[in-house]
Amino acid sequence: MFNSQLDMNGSDMSEQRASSLEESQKSIGYIVGGGLKANLQARLTVPAQRVQEGAFVVVESGNWLFYGLVTDMQLGSTDPRFADEQTETRLPPQLAKLLHGQTLYTNLEVMAALMMEQGPDIDEDPEAYQAWFQKVMEEQIRPEPVKTVPQHHAEVRLAHAGDIAEIFGKEGEKAFFRIGDTIEGGHPVCVNLDKLVQRSSGIFGATGTGKSFLTRVILAGLIKRDKTAVLIFDMHNEYGPDDTASDTGMRVPGLKGKFPSKVRMVGLGRGATIRGKTPDYTLEIAESDIKPEDVMMLAQELNLRETTPTTLEALRASFHEAWFHEFKQMRTNTYNFDEDGKRVPAPDSVEAWANGAGVHPGAAEALHSKLRRLFNAPYIVEQPAANALQQMIDNLDNGQHVVLSFGKHETDLDYLFVSNLLTRRIRDVWEHRTNNFRSGHQGATEPRPLVIVVEEAHKLLNREMASQTTFSTIAREMRKYYVTLLIIDQRPSQIYDEVMSQLGTRITGWLGDSDDIQSVLTGLASRDALRGMLAHLQPKEEVLMLGWGVPMPIVVHSRRYDDTFWDELLEKKDRRSNSDILKDIGF
Amino acid sequence: MSEIEIGRLLRSSTTGFVVGCKVNQLNAPSFGAMVRVPLEAQYQVYGVIYDIHIEDDGLVRQLITAQDVPEEVLKDNRENRNVPVEIGVLALGYEHGRRIFHLLPPRPPLSLDAIFLCSPGEVASFTGEGRFGYFRHILGDQDKPIEELLAAHLRQARGAQVDAGNEAWYQQAVGELITLMRDDYQGLIKILSAVSEI
Repeated sequence: MFNSQLDMNGSDMSEQRASSLEESQKSIGYIVGGGLKANLQARLTVPAQRVQEGAFVVVESGNWLFYGLVTDMQLGSTDPRFADEQTETRLPPQLAKLLHGQTLYTNLEVMAALMMEQGPDIDEDPEAYQAWFQKVMEEQIRPEPVKTVPQHHAEVRLAHAGDIAEIFGKEGEKAFFRIGDTIEGGHPVCVNLDKLVQRSSGIFGATGTGKSFLTRVILAGLIKRDKTAVLIFDMHNEYGPDDTASDTGMRVPGLKGKFPSKVRMVGLGRGATIRGKTPDYTLEIAESDIKPEDVMMLAQELNLRETTPTTLEALRASFHEAWFHEFKQMRTNTYNFDEDGKRVPAPDSVEAWANGAGVHPGAAEALHSKLRRLFNAPYIVEQPAANALQQMIDNLDNGQHVVLSFGKHETDLDYLFVSNLLTRRIRDVWEHRTNNFRSGHQGATEPRPLVIVVEEAHKLLNREMASQTTFSTIAREMRKYYVTLLIIDQRPSQIYDEVMSQLGTRITGWLGDSDDIQSVLTGLASRDALRGMLAHLQPKEEVLMLGWGVPMPIVVHSRRYDDTFWDELLEKKDRRSNSDILKDIGF
Repeated sequence: MSEIEIGRLLRSSTTGFVVGCKVNQLNAPSFGAMVRVPLEAQYQVYGVIYDIHIEDDGLVRQLITAQDVPEEVLKDNRENRNVPVEIGVLALGYEHGRRIFHLLPPRPPLSLDAIFLCSPGEVASFTGEGRFGYFRHILGDQDKPIEELLAAHLRQARGAQVDAGNEAWYQQAVGELITLMRDDYQGLIKILSAVSEI
């Protein structure tokens, strides 16, 4: 598309634009029924193939414009016999065509989402038009939820770029960031980045639907926008460093390469390398930072018993903050002999402590052995070489963004443990600052909004875990403490309903499983109408955006994450690829 | 204006009339053709021929049963009949003050009024007026062979319209028929299969 436009001269382009505008102005049908509860019904007057499910349509009724989505298409006939009989075999083609044109039809089901008052004709009443325009500029007239219905026979047409911009915002203005294009017409659809991060949001889609590319696009937009800090838990080391796409084998630029000064790469554990590169700094976790809750959260992963909370509580009572260190140092199955020659547990053994603390020795020993995986984790040290956690917080404060790469520590245990512990610590800092700011402490500044990006979110937000992790708290409290989540997952049905229902914006690619589809639509009013649309998405690069962050649901052909994207984002518009230049010279 | 007189009025009513004509006039009218009856200045009634009826009389019966009737006698009796040929006409509308109405005429023609065949130009201007309102009168009369009548009428009118440069008329007419008849599947299919033979 871009190349072909380059080859055209200016007048061809404007002609093409004019004809595409004319095309979209044409009516595709008229309203024949429906209501506020049921969707609107429109009789299609153009061949059905020109309209698809999910198409964005505009209904013009008097002074009002209604914006809606095509959620279903039905074949109908004035009499069932006209549909049953193959009259084209009995009548000459011309007659059959006339007959079918009048007796067979397609009805569109249109889910009207928004309506807006339309201005008077500028030629007829320039003064009234100016007054209306002024109101639009002052945002007194805005698209609002549908509260009435269009008239019978109101014209239905496909939306043009202006309609989409009216609803979703114009690219480049304020916080509007183009996330893709409409399926019909290919008009740019924007998302308001500032609004997107005001509540937690989710990106869903089965494997291979382009989730991580879309996430990169959004993250790049957020980093460019520079209003929020982003912390990415990069479990598979794909967001920071440059990568190679698993399906096409193409090079995929990482965020670090494109924003070298804004993005800090952090490795987990001393001496960590990420895809052969040294990170900006490494993170180690101090043993004293670990709380019993952090261990409890791993109950499923470590297969902990019911006695664990009691044992942990006793450990904390005995050793306070140093409980993890002390417990790690204890030995098991070591005995001494007392004066009477009787075998007693060695003083530095688990059993000796258990006896002293009134805990069942068997339970304590079992816990000790189950925590061995944590004791052996190289990134948990007694005294970290540097306070990397503080450094991360400082980075996030200073307008930088942090990608925590897990490097070779890719197990679920590492991911769950580290991401939860860090998030808890960071959120505490933000909560503290928010409280200071709100209570008007001297020198307290408004905290910088923080977005925490979590991959494989169902591991942290499933039914069992949701009550224990910090993530569900963040999802629930929205933006109260200036921290929100961006969760990325392929199995939304595994995420706890209560968390799902709190998600503001949902962007979802194709999902195969009906449970997943169901859960993505949790808490939405129009889920029945949207279910079909979601089930029929193209498996690649088509996403449905819905929820609080977008004015109305819409199917979008998502923006490609490629060199053109980066050139546009970083405004290197005059840069052209070698192949284009060669083509122009005539090779 | 066509001056082909096809006969004179035998009897009439608001919805139609019967024309009597001589045998030597019979080569002009045909089933489905349009006729007009000028009544007074700037007022004439239009109709379409739905029936051509030839009655027997006593002499014809005798001649059929008689032996060895000379050829001249047969010819004389065919051409000079006591009973006229009867042509049934369905009223479709009227013209008054140069305006065409697809409504039933305010008053029917009187006995012995002369009936003329419409010229192609008159057919084109009558059928091209408005949106086929005269179809109402044809479709409403279920006793008549409306499928055949419509097919014959459309064939003749199409020719007149094409001559007048209105190529799209035929499609519009069929479209209108389908719209009017689409609730009556059987009736519409009958009409379309008759029309498809044009």
